[in-house]
Amino acid sequence: MDWDQFDLNPKTIAALKKADIKSVKEVLNLSGADLQRLMKLSSADIQCLLKTVSHTLRRNSMLTALQLYQDKDHFTSQHQKLSLGCSVLDNLLKGGIPLVGITELAGESSAGKTQISLQLCLCVQYPYKYGGLESGAVYICTEDVFPSKRLQQLIDQQHKLRADVPAEIIQKIRFGNSIFVEQAADLDTFQQCITRRLSLLLARGMVRLVVIDSIAALFRCEFGAAQSALKARYLQTFGAQLHSLSTRYRTPIMCINQVWQQTVSYSTGTGSRVTPALGITWSNQLLMRLMVSRVSLPGHSPGAAAHCAGSVRTLSVIFAPHLPPSFCYYTVQLEGVKGIK
Amino acid sequence: MQLAVDVQIPECFGGIAGEAVFIDTEGSFMVDRVVDIAAACVQHCHLIAEAQQEEDLRKALETFSLENILSHIYYFRCRDYTELLAQVYLLPEFLSEHSKVRLVVIDGIAFPFRHDFEDLSLRTRLLNGLAQQLIIIANDHKSAVVLTNQMTTRIGQSQSTLVPALGESWGHAATVRLIFHWDNSQRLATLYKSPSQKESTIAYHITSHGFRDVQPPAVTHSTEGTELNPRKRPRTEEEKQ
Repeated sequence: MDWDQFDLNPKTIAALKKADIKSVKEVLNLSGADLQRLMKLSSADIQCLLKTVSHTLRRNSMLTALQLYQDKDHFTSQHQKLSLGCSVLDNLLKGGIPLVGITELAGESSAGKTQISLQLCLCVQYPYKYGGLESGAVYICTEDVFPSKRLQQLIDQQHKLRADVPAEIIQKIRFGNSIFVEQAADLDTFQQCITRRLSLLLARGMVRLVVIDSIAALFRCEFGAAQSALKARYLQTFGAQLHSLSTRYRTPIMCINQVWQQTVSYSTGTGSRVTPALGITWSNQLLMRLMVSRVSLPGHSPGAAAHCAGSVRTLSVIFAPHLPPSFCYYTVQLEGVKGIK
Repeated sequence: MQLAVDVQIPECFGGIAGEAVFIDTEGSFMVDRVVDIAAACVQHCHLIAEAQQEEDLRKALETFSLENILSHIYYFRCRDYTELLAQVYLLPEFLSEHSKVRLVVIDGIAFPFRHDFEDLSLRTRLLNGLAQQLIIIANDHKSAVVLTNQMTTRIGQSQSTLVPALGESWGHAATVRLIFHWDNSQRLATLYKSPSQKESTIAYHITSHGFRDVQPPAVTHSTEGTELNPRKRPRTEEEKQ
């Protein structure tokens, strides 16, 4: 750390070097009393040091809520979101997936989580004007093999799903080239993937979406009941790393999660309920939680019977700082996931 | 977010006409939501002014607009605990320059401290230091300080319970503690620790307009969830998610 760059008096700089203090973090981690002792300076000098390093770290960091609201820049604006490729689904989410933070998509098997994720990997490649981020995606598989055939089907049918986008634009996008598939079946490989591969792709601006399919699979076998503290540590560490990458590169992280049956006690008794796996430690890492489920409707809602070969599904908002709990119906077609009004 | 809007309500409507500092560690401050809450608050005041037809109410509304409210919420984004520590060192100076600030919110205090700490004693020391600085700020600048915290599971002998995160010693930092929880699909807020009020639980809703009562306001205290009584001495509070 080059202390000479800071606006400090020479006495303080000399004391810092002599005490072998190497970073702003170290300075802030020490208490005022410890700093006085280590650097042999007066309390006033230490206060001055703390203020100066804090200023340097936090230069120009204030915004008013009005500035946030009025920011229309593609990269920084909160209004910019990642579209799901369907106006009904986007309306449910008031625009789409927020760019900063971890969004979870939980649900039973074959409820449509992978379908939605694949669709997002294509949506992200469209121009900003059409709800995309003009960049690629990383798809991290932790248990199943990547569904390349289905991806190809979706690519071939993009013109049908995205009737709102001119055909010339769709034709120009090399969808397959910008989706990077990674396999990570255990915790260590996953850790490596995040810290090395993911950081690299993000730093180079090649991707602006990360899909993890699924986060639950990483923790299924390896942890018994007695190791819940260790499991919690892993979850917090991963959560923090993903969160940090997401913030730094303004890139949404979509984590797919499984669900389990949980006994819940209400004031009126106990019951069993389907809840996302991994507990409160994981849900504390999330910005937004969505759930999908298959619904077997005895009498289909109008219009649904007309185009679905399979059943109708629901996409629900479980929590989000900017959305009320709500849901909508959708089906999975050849060309992709489409909401039903 | 609700508090950051409510602190700005003009005095003639029962508010304290203050400004707010919002320190965000999780990135969950969605400005569109603040706009909804603020717009509803302005609308509410307009209705009161129309009903009561008083000159000073109408005059106050000239400066109590959506843009005004948004411009008086000072937002800081801290991405790790070092940035948070630095920001709190700079707060006293900021509050001296912006003397109308009556509320400092840190959302959430737990997030930057719950990973990355091999040495828990360092964490405890840093949190204690932070708490002391915030108490001094609350007293010196006559400002309410509100922190949000996460819940965690404590594994006991035979069962596990939900408790606030950051440990036992952190529990002493706050003067007031509110715990938000659910019963079925009803939201509840429990006043868990307070020097002057007794422990009690109330139900509330969160609508598109913000925090609202479950019943019409015959309830005497805490009408909007965590609204502050401007006549009480400001204190350090802690809300739980």
